[in-house]
Amino acid sequence: MIEGPLWRKWLFVNIPIILFVFVLLFPFYWMIITTVRPDSELYRPWNAPNYNPFWTWRPTLEHIQYLLEETLFSTWMLNTMLIAGISTIISVICGVFAGYALARLNFPYAAGIGTGIFVTYLVPQTLLFIPLSDIIRNFSLGDTPWALILTYPTFLIPFCTWLMMGYFKAIPKELEECARIDGASRFKAMLYIILPIAVPGILSAGIFAFTLSWNEFIYALVFLSSPEQKTVPVGVTSELIRGDVFFWGPLMAGALLGSIPVALVYSFFVEHYVAGMTGSVKG
Amino acid sequence: MARIGGGGLAGILASAQAPAYAQGTTIHWLRWNDFVPASDQLLRREIAQECQRALGIRLNVETVNANDIQARVTSAVQSGSGPDIFNVLNNWPQLYAQSAADVSDIAEEVAAAQGGFYEVAKAVAHDGRRWLAVPFSIVGNTFAYRKSWFEEVGYAEFPRTWEQFRDAGQKLKAKGRPLGQTLGQTFGDAPTFTYPLMWSFGGKEVEADGRTVVLNSPETVESVRFMTRLWRDACDEGGLAWDDSNNNRAFLSGTISATLNGASIYIESMRRPQSYLTDRGTPMKDDIRHGVMPAGPAGSFHFHLPFSNMMPAYSRNQDATRRFLRWIHSKDVFERWFVTQRGFSVGATTVWEQHPIWNEDPVMLPYRNAARVGRVPGYAGTSNAKAAEIVTKYVITNMYARAVQGIAPEQAVREAHAEVARIYAG
Amino acid sequence: MSSATTEAGVGGIRRSRRRMLFEDERWLAMALLSPTILLLGLFIAYPFVTGVMLSLSNARVGVPGEFVGFANFARLWNDPIFAKAVGNTFIYTAVTTVFKLALGLWLAVLLNRHFRGKALVRAFILLPFIIPTVLSTFAWKWMFDPTFSVLNWTFRTLGLIDTRINWLGDPDLAMLSVMIVNIWRGVPFYAISLLAGLQTISPDLHEAAAIDGARPWSRFWHITWPLLLPVTMVVVLFSVIQTFADFQLVYVLTAGGPANATHLFATYAYQVAIGTGLLSEGAAISLAMFPVLFLVVIIQLLYIRRVETR
Repeated sequence: MIEGPLWRKWLFVNIPIILFVFVLLFPFYWMIITTVRPDSELYRPWNAPNYNPFWTWRPTLEHIQYLLEETLFSTWMLNTMLIAGISTIISVICGVFAGYALARLNFPYAAGIGTGIFVTYLVPQTLLFIPLSDIIRNFSLGDTPWALILTYPTFLIPFCTWLMMGYFKAIPKELEECARIDGASRFKAMLYIILPIAVPGILSAGIFAFTLSWNEFIYALVFLSSPEQKTVPVGVTSELIRGDVFFWGPLMAGALLGSIPVALVYSFFVEHYVAGMTGSVKG
Repeated sequence: MARIGGGGLAGILASAQAPAYAQGTTIHWLRWNDFVPASDQLLRREIAQECQRALGIRLNVETVNANDIQARVTSAVQSGSGPDIFNVLNNWPQLYAQSAADVSDIAEEVAAAQGGFYEVAKAVAHDGRRWLAVPFSIVGNTFAYRKSWFEEVGYAEFPRTWEQFRDAGQKLKAKGRPLGQTLGQTFGDAPTFTYPLMWSFGGKEVEADGRTVVLNSPETVESVRFMTRLWRDACDEGGLAWDDSNNNRAFLSGTISATLNGASIYIESMRRPQSYLTDRGTPMKDDIRHGVMPAGPAGSFHFHLPFSNMMPAYSRNQDATRRFLRWIHSKDVFERWFVTQRGFSVGATTVWEQHPIWNEDPVMLPYRNAARVGRVPGYAGTSNAKAAEIVTKYVITNMYARAVQGIAPEQAVREAHAEVARIYAG
Repeated sequence: MSSATTEAGVGGIRRSRRRMLFEDERWLAMALLSPTILLLGLFIAYPFVTGVMLSLSNARVGVPGEFVGFANFARLWNDPIFAKAVGNTFIYTAVTTVFKLALGLWLAVLLNRHFRGKALVRAFILLPFIIPTVLSTFAWKWMFDPTFSVLNWTFRTLGLIDTRINWLGDPDLAMLSVMIVNIWRGVPFYAISLLAGLQTISPDLHEAAAIDGARPWSRFWHITWPLLLPVTMVVVLFSVIQTFADFQLVYVLTAGGPANATHLFATYAYQVAIGTGLLSEGAAISLAMFPVLFLVVIIQLLYIRRVETR
């Protein structure tokens, strides 16, 4: 693709990419180095002499050890994965069904319903969590993972639905019609013809939904109370952020350990995922 | 919908192991995560075990960030379910007055047995007719300062007046050792500095009638004018971005010479003496002293942070909760917690001034009687919900912050006055 | 899947009849939409209505309150902090969106080229988006810390500054800092979404244009950009709404300070509703922008639909 001499490729592609990677990943390098830095090196102010914040000669695992032994971090990880996983599955299923209906079927008020689903996304969480806690109590869901599993889809479904709508619109109608001529029902045609083609789109919706649930803070703070029920963001902030203590080591360890599993899944899916977005674009 | 997950299961297991009479009685106590971590450990482990033995009640102590407590109280009160006790700070009991169960009997008992509550504790937890919460503790606020550095600039004693304080700070800042004070939007160290500063110059929010807003006075303007000079001459400019813990870390890392704080800085420096060193390599703990608020034209005032145990009216375990409150506030049990605080918190009752812990370390002495001289926001009126609103909107703190950022003191006070008037009128 | 079919609520009807129902587009559509409508109806509709009612009452925490009409909104009209929060939110959303879009697009174009380690870069570039916001924001808070800022260390070591940059203490810089973190978090999301869009564009188009002598920039402008527009619109729309309601970032970095300089809608609503217990006024703040956002969304959705059918 690239024409012209090598310096042009460096100037217009390689160097900008290196810059992007540097800026986007710098905080992660910072987290890694803080995770393994001994406490005594953390008290140095920015203008201290002989201080190199980007390297340490005395790496330690004590912060990771503290995180895993003194807090319930592994439990929080499991909780977060469980909650994010199930709410993602629910949202993707709802999104696929709703997206298919809105994109492929003719029925009254389709546009209105589509807009309505989108509009729910406009309601800020900071407003919703107070009345929501009422519902949570009525269903006796307080302090159970279900409180989050059932409320997270409220902000995941709109996005999934609209992403899937775009994707379904891109799949030629003829494919489905062929199947129907061969005697398949509408539902079967959707299940066996359309969905397999849409797998990359489903993956991309799923990854976004998973990331958003993974990140959520307010609902998790308000609806869960037992330490062993909490999620990573809430557990780490309520156990590790303390007044006088230089808590940065365990905190950064928590941030890293909390994102590495997702990063692994992502690197596994990312090619699929890119292909998935491709579909939703054609519209 | 069935309960799933660890908590449900753990709950069932725990109640299966507990004695038969204890089944089903769990008290859920929500607290901030303490600046003295040892105290949280004590409550979760030993106190919880003893509670089980003595009362047959399973104690579930949950700690969250102080900033996040209000979100939990609000959702619990609105939905009518949640923790059985909230350990609330400041004058929050007044905010949640309508949702707080009457705990007058317990509070009166504790007061009678322990020499009476301090005025500040009563002001935030009593609404004039009944006790909204049982005062638990008070975090005293004094200046932590570096003795040797103050001596170097000619102050063998901590400055007694604001002018001396500014003078010392100016000399220290010239040496690269400024005073540190937060003016950020944070619940503790910002208001506990700005309110007393205003009072010491004679400024106040309202008259004793609790309606007439008098913030915009020459006294208040003078205090704001002083603050701008203090800031420019003597303070670390980073303070505008600090929360309640930044100044502690700045102090422990040796970049500031004094800061208004609870005793937690000193306590942390003693917990790990080898970690926090002076520029000469000696343990910093030996160079830390505590000083009281300097005096202005109207005197010297303090705003100490009271903590109270509030039982929400929705609680279904009210009898058990009352038994627990009596127990945890009783002298023997409270003492164990009090000792782990090492003076960071003083008791809410006066009897704790006599405790032998005060004989152990003269550095902690300024905290001993600290709660006697406190005032609470809303002065000269009562510390009601309006006063609480002004605290949580940081109106007074922002009045100083705005002036420090460069607008005229008169204008900063005028704007703050308008805001206070709006709140008292609303 | 089977559970969803059951949820459609057609049990008890004979199989052939069910088949017929499902052949009818309207019935099938209703069946497919019902789980979504059920969940959203249950967990959004009721709280939303409650929220609106709150905003029209004088409820405080623990006190139901009475209907007061638009009194809360009238109060907001004269509230200088609210005015500040409105301005901040618009600037914050506008600036970060422009940068996220521009940088995201640039990064997407770069990632669409061939270079060594492409798969790896694509995977790791997403990290800022993955890490829980609260935790990454705490990392940034430390990087901006007045006493320990590693950014200041770096700039000083490079000889760019003598005195520190007061990242979170200066009102303007505090706003800038908050924006930087938001952009840092958002660029990967834009880049990956737009990258997907770029990949749908057939290379043939570019080659044809290149043969016709079109310069790279004009090729981008006349070929790539129009084809990229639909996905860009959806991404921007979701991102704008999210940015507009941003909460965690400011809550952790500055709590709206110094002196309300960085308050956004969500943080101010939270402060008023939760901090001061004025649920009604907090709800009013949250809802004050709803009509504006609603209009923006409707217009954008109509536009997307037009672009799609073209």
